[in-house]
Amino acid sequence: MRQGQRSLIRSRSLATVGFLSPGLGLLIVFVAVPILLTAWISLHQGSMAIPYSRMRWVGFSNYAAILEQPIFRTALLNVFLYSLANLVIILPLAILLGLFLYQAQIYGRNLLRTVLFLPYMIPTVAVAIVWGYLYEPQYGPLNEILGWLHLPAQGWLGSVHEAMLSLVILNVWQTLGYYVVMVVAGLTEIPQEYYEAAALDGAGWWRRHWSITLPLLRRTLAFVFVILTINTLQVFDPVYVLTQGSPVNSTDVAAYEMYITAFNYGQAGLASAMAMVMLAIVLVLSLLQLRLFRSL
Amino acid sequence: MSVYVKSYRRSSRGRRWLSLALQYLCMALILVVMLFPFFWLLASSLKSPEDLEALPPVWWPEHPAFSSYRTVFEVTPFARAILNSLVVTVSSTVGILLTSIMAGYVFAKHQFRGKNALFVGVLATMMVPQFVMLIPLYRMMVALHLDNTYPGLILPNLANGFGIFLMRQFIAGIPDELLEAARLDGASEWTLLWRVVVPLLRPAAAALVLFAFVFQWNNFLWPLSMVYSREMSTVVLSLNGLRTYTSSVTFTNIVMAGTAIGILPSVVLTLWAQRYFIEGISLTGIKG
Repeated sequence: MRQGQRSLIRSRSLATVGFLSPGLGLLIVFVAVPILLTAWISLHQGSMAIPYSRMRWVGFSNYAAILEQPIFRTALLNVFLYSLANLVIILPLAILLGLFLYQAQIYGRNLLRTVLFLPYMIPTVAVAIVWGYLYEPQYGPLNEILGWLHLPAQGWLGSVHEAMLSLVILNVWQTLGYYVVMVVAGLTEIPQEYYEAAALDGAGWWRRHWSITLPLLRRTLAFVFVILTINTLQVFDPVYVLTQGSPVNSTDVAAYEMYITAFNYGQAGLASAMAMVMLAIVLVLSLLQLRLFRSL
Repeated sequence: MSVYVKSYRRSSRGRRWLSLALQYLCMALILVVMLFPFFWLLASSLKSPEDLEALPPVWWPEHPAFSSYRTVFEVTPFARAILNSLVVTVSSTVGILLTSIMAGYVFAKHQFRGKNALFVGVLATMMVPQFVMLIPLYRMMVALHLDNTYPGLILPNLANGFGIFLMRQFIAGIPDELLEAARLDGASEWTLLWRVVVPLLRPAAAALVLFAFVFQWNNFLWPLSMVYSREMSTVVLSLNGLRTYTSSVTFTNIVMAGTAIGILPSVVLTLWAQRYFIEGISLTGIKG
């Protein structure tokens, strides 16, 4: 009996190791090790093709170099603005649409949810291509619609002032549904009795949601906030497809700058330093946000 | 009194009607905004070069032409790109499914030292932007002569933190008694996993398969960095190429036809199985 039990336990710990190793092994080889290597390259001078052993140690001078470059500082600032604009637009819209989807007593709620969610699942490259044509100043429909409303035609992606906003609108259109689904999931977790009690106490719609929905939705909103930040700080596809950072670097973002520094200019050291800076920013911001929301 | 009640009731019915009308109006507005880009995609793909150049823009072509859906296969090896995308996507999806189920099971149901730290590590990989790994991964593939090949495209995408997390969340909900009963019957952990856990896991596995499929199909950064020949191009990569090399407005129909084909698998899967997507998101969202 003892013998059997011991062999059972041994076979279970064998299974522990056996089941974990494929997944963890792949994550170590293709995520953990590359992160360490990126950190290592960022402290060295080297092109994309030079072997690791022949890279020259330069300490933190790559970091100093990129932070002195006005172009990388612009790219950082741009991606912050992009992220912030997305947060400011998506967060309230997701709450409102989530409430609408959850509460509306109309036919076609499922259709609405599907349609909202659909763009999130299609390739961002495809979304960018379609919106590129929508924004097209001469042949595109958006300026035509503005014309019907007697509003002036806009430069959209071609305008220094509007290009970034155009990319934000594209992202809101594509990803809003995903966050709405998360909000709806959070809403279903709130016990209905709270609302009934509040209604009995004479609380109106606004007050009910301000004092019940928002506080009880805190964890969901924290999650939305963090995911939104992580996702928007890495924006790359629409920039690469539509603007390549133009006009006048107004849509240059960190991921794009890192990509061309590595693959167009071949400067692996500088590009790795950029990647590490972004990684640090993403990690610090998401941990800060999580802590902040937990303490609320 | 009765007059008062009647008028009250009427006004309440009127308000209800108004509220319903407003709700339908809101829905219609959202639907129009969300569907318009799809409409423009379809309409443009069916336009003739003359329609495309017309000012003011033509909204729906008078004579819809499907020829661009053929042309796109002639100007670029699009059939090959579809095949490439399928090979890469299906392989990664199978890999992600297997690695996630096994690791998720261990994280949900086995006890061992350092489990929590390890799981936090797995979760942390979800926060790391893809481009942080890009340079070493690229160099790795070049060193192994796997750049511009299927294995090069597939290998880094055979496991991910999200999949392991999702599977752990679902498997944690399976009662321990069920597993203990099977263990008392002498089932090995391997049998237990595939005979007891996996059959209960079907909706979760479906969600994971769909997510993995769609995200691999949509992946752009990795193929962009790795693929240098037209023959190894994926669908998404080809779409970017099409757009870049056909900048004239008269070729819009070809680019849009390619785009319409390129989004088709994602659209069909989403419509067909959205229940699983929603469940997946809800689960990660609530318990995350």
